[in-house]
Amino acid sequence: MSSVVFFVAAIGVLAGAIGVVVLANPFYSVLALVAHLISLAALFLLLRAEFVAAAQVVVYAGAVMVLYVFVVAYVGGQDQPVRSSGPGLRLIAALFGAALLCELWIAVIGSSLKSLTEHGAPYTPGFGSPSQIGQLLLTRFLEPFEVASFLLLVAAVGAVILARRRRGLGDEDEERLPGFPAISVAEVLSGRVPTGSMAEAAGLGYEVGESAAGTRRQARGGW
Amino acid sequence: MTAHGSGGLLAVVSYWEPWWIQIIKSLLVFGVGLSMVPVILILERKGLGRFQNRYGPNRVGVFGIMQPLADILKLLRKEQFRPATSVGLLFALAPVISILTAVATFAIIPFGDVHNLFGTNVGLYGIDVSIGPLYAFAFGAIAFYGIMLGGWASGSKYSFLGAMRGAAQLISYEVALGLSLIGVVFQAGTLSLTGIVHAQQHYGLWFFLPQIVGFLIFMVSGFAETNRAPFDLVEADAELVGGYNTEYGGGRFASYYFAEYLNVFVISGLATTMFLGGWLLPFGIHPPAFIDPIVVLVKMFVFVIVFIWVRATLPRLRYDQLMRFGWKVLLPLATVNALVTAILVVET
Repeated sequence: MSSVVFFVAAIGVLAGAIGVVVLANPFYSVLALVAHLISLAALFLLLRAEFVAAAQVVVYAGAVMVLYVFVVAYVGGQDQPVRSSGPGLRLIAALFGAALLCELWIAVIGSSLKSLTEHGAPYTPGFGSPSQIGQLLLTRFLEPFEVASFLLLVAAVGAVILARRRRGLGDEDEERLPGFPAISVAEVLSGRVPTGSMAEAAGLGYEVGESAAGTRRQARGGW
Repeated sequence: MTAHGSGGLLAVVSYWEPWWIQIIKSLLVFGVGLSMVPVILILERKGLGRFQNRYGPNRVGVFGIMQPLADILKLLRKEQFRPATSVGLLFALAPVISILTAVATFAIIPFGDVHNLFGTNVGLYGIDVSIGPLYAFAFGAIAFYGIMLGGWASGSKYSFLGAMRGAAQLISYEVALGLSLIGVVFQAGTLSLTGIVHAQQHYGLWFFLPQIVGFLIFMVSGFAETNRAPFDLVEADAELVGGYNTEYGGGRFASYYFAEYLNVFVISGLATTMFLGGWLLPFGIHPPAFIDPIVVLVKMFVFVIVFIWVRATLPRLRYDQLMRFGWKVLLPLATVNALVTAILVVET
């Protein structure tokens, strides 16, 4: 039973990883990556690492890949192929691929394939449970854990600052909706109403007539 | 794996139940989910009717209670149609993902404690995972792809916009939903859902009172996660025709519909378990074991009625209001709630 699940998940992992590279449409590439990550979570589940499996799905398939899907669906949904690479780039890609393969082989053979004949570490109840992982994070792996959390904090603060810069840091902007400039009463009375606003729809811009917004509406014939 | 236990993979999930009990349980969980959805449907249609000063469906069966079955039969007998612009495989796969994740999440709702049935110990739940709510969030994350793929593969701008809204909404509110449960997990000291119910028994008070802030955040985020009114921008009819399921018809539309209402039921079940004491009764009443599932079902239906009530009462939010509320109100509030709970738990 477990070996069946292992082979199904392993095939899913490999097929997903190959799909990411091979598929021409970026949207399908992202979906292949999602399939890869979910299959990887199944492998973690086989190793009785329930928490790691759930974290894998929630964080990677759930949060990270959702943003990838979001961006790709908006920007690169068409069937246009990724920019064709020159011969130099291809050579470098092949070299890097070969180097990675060598490294992997060294790692695999370096373990002298012991795991093929052994049963691995015995299972102790509670292994991989959230409480055990939490204890390890706060004792043995405290420093990497804190460094990682600090890194994430920096990233979060950076994202907030970048998002705010777009709209400026003025005090007024706090009151305004993103993309909707606020309209003052004076602006409405003088006819300088931005197009597409509620005031225009209510006919305020139309009545003034002299202003830019008003004439444009007259030229269109209104509705 | 087989060296450690004769049960193989099944032993990983649950350590003492024989395989045939697990198969019966999985069928039972699916059966309960499948049979409760029409009940919720008729409850909602009759309820909405009464809220809006009309009768609601009253033609099929006594008081119209057979109406959902008639609807489902009609949908299933319709022609399978898909637009020429759609992507065939993904278009068919998307409702399957939605329904699969909804049913999978339903499996963790505990309907009772472990009891001695048929000569073995049987827990009255699908599975009792050690990661509890995280399991629900993992499947919630996959459920996103059901909506997203459905919208994208339809090849229609209304579907696509609906799916995009769904994406942003799900990401935003899942964070608040997760953080709102952390307080309960702190107090219970366990992630297992049955463990949380036991913790409420020992604590002597259901967690919705000490965790009232978390409870309210959970309910609001739950409305957003299930795309229910007033957060149903994913399928805002006036702007998007029908949202991500605009191009769907027949059985596939029925699957989406089924998944949506099952999700409502699952959120109700999670709220019942985490905040309302699961199968416990107040004032120290200990009924016989067969009452337990009924208690849980009654509590869940209380939440379902709240869902219907809110839908009949509140108007839909604007999209920027929805986003701002999620990020600027619920998320900080949930974080502060988790912090305060952590401090209080450590203190005592």
